[in-house]
Amino acid sequence: MPDQVPDQAAKRAEQTERAPAGQGAARTAAPPAVRVEGLWKRFGDQVAVAGIDLDLPAGQFVGLVGPNGAGKTTTLSMVTGLLRPDMGRVQVAGHDVWGDPVAVKARIGVLPEGLRLFERLSGRELLGYTGRLRGLPGDEVDKRATQLLDVLDLAGAQHKLVVDYSTGMRKKIGLAAALLHNPEVLFLDEPFEGVDPVSAQTIRGVLERYTDSGATVVFSSHVMELVESLCDWVAVMAAGRIRAQGTLAEVRGDAPSLQSAFLELVGAQGRDTGESLDWLGGAR
Amino acid sequence: MSAGLSGTVGTAGAVGSGTTPAVTLGTGDLAPVFVRLKLSLLRNGLRQSSGRTAAYVVSVVFALLIAAGQLLGLILLRGNDGAATLAVFLTGLVALGWAMLPLFFPSGDETLDPSRLVMLPLRPRALIGALLAASVVGIGPLFTLCLVLGSSIAVAHGAAAVVVSVVVVPLALLVCVALSRAVAAANIRLLTSRKGRDLAVLSGLVIAVGVQFVNFGIQRLNEAGGLSALDPVADVVRWLPPASAIGAVDSVSDGAYGPAAVQLLLSLAALAGLLYWWQRSLVKLMTAPDGSTVAAVSGPARKESASGLGRLLPEGRTGTVMRRSLLYVWRDPKTKAAWITSLAIGLIVPLVNALQGNGSIYLACFAAGMLGIQMYNQFGQDTSAFWMVALTISSTRDAYLELRARAFALLLITLPYSALVTVGTAALLGDWRALPDALGLSFALLGAMMATGALASARFPYSIPQDSGYKNVAPGQAGLAWISILGGMLGGAVLCAPVIALTIALHVSGADAWTWVVLPTGTAYGALIAWAGIRLAAPQTASRLPEILSAVSKG
Repeated sequence: MPDQVPDQAAKRAEQTERAPAGQGAARTAAPPAVRVEGLWKRFGDQVAVAGIDLDLPAGQFVGLVGPNGAGKTTTLSMVTGLLRPDMGRVQVAGHDVWGDPVAVKARIGVLPEGLRLFERLSGRELLGYTGRLRGLPGDEVDKRATQLLDVLDLAGAQHKLVVDYSTGMRKKIGLAAALLHNPEVLFLDEPFEGVDPVSAQTIRGVLERYTDSGATVVFSSHVMELVESLCDWVAVMAAGRIRAQGTLAEVRGDAPSLQSAFLELVGAQGRDTGESLDWLGGAR
Repeated sequence: MSAGLSGTVGTAGAVGSGTTPAVTLGTGDLAPVFVRLKLSLLRNGLRQSSGRTAAYVVSVVFALLIAAGQLLGLILLRGNDGAATLAVFLTGLVALGWAMLPLFFPSGDETLDPSRLVMLPLRPRALIGALLAASVVGIGPLFTLCLVLGSSIAVAHGAAAVVVSVVVVPLALLVCVALSRAVAAANIRLLTSRKGRDLAVLSGLVIAVGVQFVNFGIQRLNEAGGLSALDPVADVVRWLPPASAIGAVDSVSDGAYGPAAVQLLLSLAALAGLLYWWQRSLVKLMTAPDGSTVAAVSGPARKESASGLGRLLPEGRTGTVMRRSLLYVWRDPKTKAAWITSLAIGLIVPLVNALQGNGSIYLACFAAGMLGIQMYNQFGQDTSAFWMVALTISSTRDAYLELRARAFALLLITLPYSALVTVGTAALLGDWRALPDALGLSFALLGAMMATGALASARFPYSIPQDSGYKNVAPGQAGLAWISILGGMLGGAVLCAPVIALTIALHVSGADAWTWVVLPTGTAYGALIAWAGIRLAAPQTASRLPEILSAVSKG
C-alpha cells in the first residue's frame, strides 16, 4: 500500500487545486455534513474535548487525525449520539443530533472503536438483525447483505460466529452493518487499525465507491500516510482541541508531507535519540 | 505466536551465537529470575487497586487460617484410627484440586504462559525447572505445604518414618504443582480457544452443582457413621500419587518397608512423568501455530440455523429482537449460565419441598420469580454491543417495541415453564384444587417481574463481565445491581399484592369453589401490569441511551 501513497496524494492535491471557484462556492452554500459548535466533554478532572467547533463538508472524504488520547473517539461518540456532551451543539445533515434523533439516526452509519458487536450471531445474522432493526424490509436486507458480504470478501465466513472473526473481518462486518441502510454520512473510528493490507484495500475500495456517489465519510486515524492518500479534507486534533481544519493542501501548507505538518501542529518535532544509544549497531 | 517464530526453542543456541556470546542458561541461573518475576507480577497486580489488595490480603489470611487449622487438626489426629485414612484422602483431594484448577482459571499465572517466553533463547529442560520453582511460590502451594506437612506428621511414627517424611513433603508438593502445570500446558490449546473460554464461563455452574454433591456426600458420611466409611476409598487412594507418598510414611510407620518403597517410587515416577509430559507440551506449544490460527483456517461453518424459528416470529423489530434474544440464550455462555441457574432453581425449590412432604403449591411461584429475574438488566446482557441497539432507537415507540420484544422472548420460555412447574408441583402434592389460583398467582408475578425488570433495565443498567464465570457485576457497580434486583423483587411482590389479597380473601372466606377466579384475574392483571411497566420504561430508555451505553460498557 505505501508505494501508491504519493500517486494518490498527488492526484488528490491536483483535484483540490483545480477545483473551480464556482464549485467551491456551491460547497459552502450546501449545509455541511456535520456542524459542531462549542462541544465539551469532561470525565472527572480530565477534559477530553475542550470546546471544539467543526464544519465538515458534505460529499467528501474527511479525516479526523490526532495522537492517541487526543479526543477523537470521544468526539465521534458525541457526534453520533452515543455519548452525551456536557455542552455544545451537533448537527448532522442539518438536523440536531440530540433534538431530532429520528432524522439523524436514519441518516448516519457508525463503526465505533472499542465497542463490541453482537458476537454470538454469525456475520449474516448480524447484518440481518441490524438491517431489520433499521426498519428495512426483510428481502431487501437479505439482498444487500449478500452483496456486501460478497464485496467485502466475507461470503466464505458468513455463517461463522463473529466471535471467531479476526480483527480485519470484524472491521469489515462492522462496515457492512454501517452501510446496510445506505446512510448519508458514515462515521468510522479507526477503521484500519489492526487490519491487514488486503482487507484494508477492500475497505478502501468500498469507501471510495461510496463517496463517489456523493455521500460523506468521516474517519479517525493516527496513520498520516493513510489520511493523506484518502482524504480531501482534514481536521487535526490534539489534547481535546482542533489545531487545524481545511482541505488537505491547506492543512499541509508548506510542509513536505502531512506527517511533518502534523508533528509541527501538535508540537512533537525533533525529539533526538541522541548519542545515548551509541552502542546500538556497534561492535558485537 | 506464528509458525514463523517456531524454531526459537530448538535452535536457540545457533541463532544466539550470531549476535551475542552463546550462553546456555541452566535451571540454577533461571530459577531465581523466574521466582523474582513471579513476585514482581504479584506485587504489581496488588498495586493496581486497593480493593484488589484488600481482597488478596483477606484471601491470604483466610487460606492461612484454614491451613493452620488443618495442620493443627491433623497433628491432633496423630495416633487416631482414622488419621491415615484422612491424611491420604485429603492429599488426594488437594491433588485433584490442583489438576482441576487450570481448567477453571485458565489465565491464572502469567509466568506460565509459554507465548510470553517463546522469543527467549532458553532450553526446555532449564525452563521447566525454573517454571517449577516459580510455581511453588504463592498461597496455593503454601496451603498445600501445610496440608501435606500435617498429613505427614499425623501418620509418622518412629525415626525411619520421620526421615521418609523429609523427602515425602516436598515430593508431594512438587507432584501437585507439576500436575497442575502439566494439565494446563496440555490444555492450553483448548483453554485459549473460544470454545475453551466458553466452557470456563460455564464452569461456574459445575462448581455450584459440585458443591451440592459435596454437601450430599458429607450428609451421607454423617449418616454412615464417620470416617470409617471412607476406608475402602482410602485403600485405593493410598496407592495413587501424590497420596501414595503419604501412604509411604504410613507404611514405614507400620514397618511395611516393601510397600513403602513401592509407594514412594510411584510418587517419584509420577513426578518424572508429569515433568516429561509438561516439557513435551511446552515444546509443542512453542513451536506450533496457536489455537486461534488453526481455528481461523479450519473452523467449521455454521449452518444457517433457526430459520424455522425466524419464520414463526413476527416481522419487524419485534421478531428481529425476539430471535436475537432467543439465539443468545443458547449461544452466549453467560446468558446460558444465567438461564440454566434460574430454570434449575425454579424447578428444584418447589419440587424438592413437595417431595419432602412439607411443600405448598404456592412455592411453584418461585419458578416465575426466578425466571422473571432474567428481565432485569436486559441491556447489560448486550454488553457494549448495546450501541447497535442504541443507534436504531430514535423514539419512545422504538424503545417500547424493543423492550416488549425482549419480554415476549422471555415469556416464550417462562410462561410454559412456570405452568409446567406449577402443574408438576400440584401432581406431586395431589393438590389439584389449588392449581388454578397458583397458576394465576404465578402469571401475575411474572407480569410484575416483567414490569419492574423493564424499569430496572432502563434506570439501573450495569455491566456483566464476559470473561469470568464467577463475576456477574463489573467492579464498582455491585450496589447498582443489588438495588436493581432487590428493589425490583420487592416491587414485584408489592405489585402482586392485589392478586395475593384476592387469593387469601377467597380462602379465608371459605369461598373455595371460587378460587378458579384467580387464574383469569391473575393472568389479566399480570399482562396489564407488564404492559404498563414497559410503557413507563420506554420513554426512560429512549432518553437515557448514552447513559445506559456507558453503564453497560464497563465489563
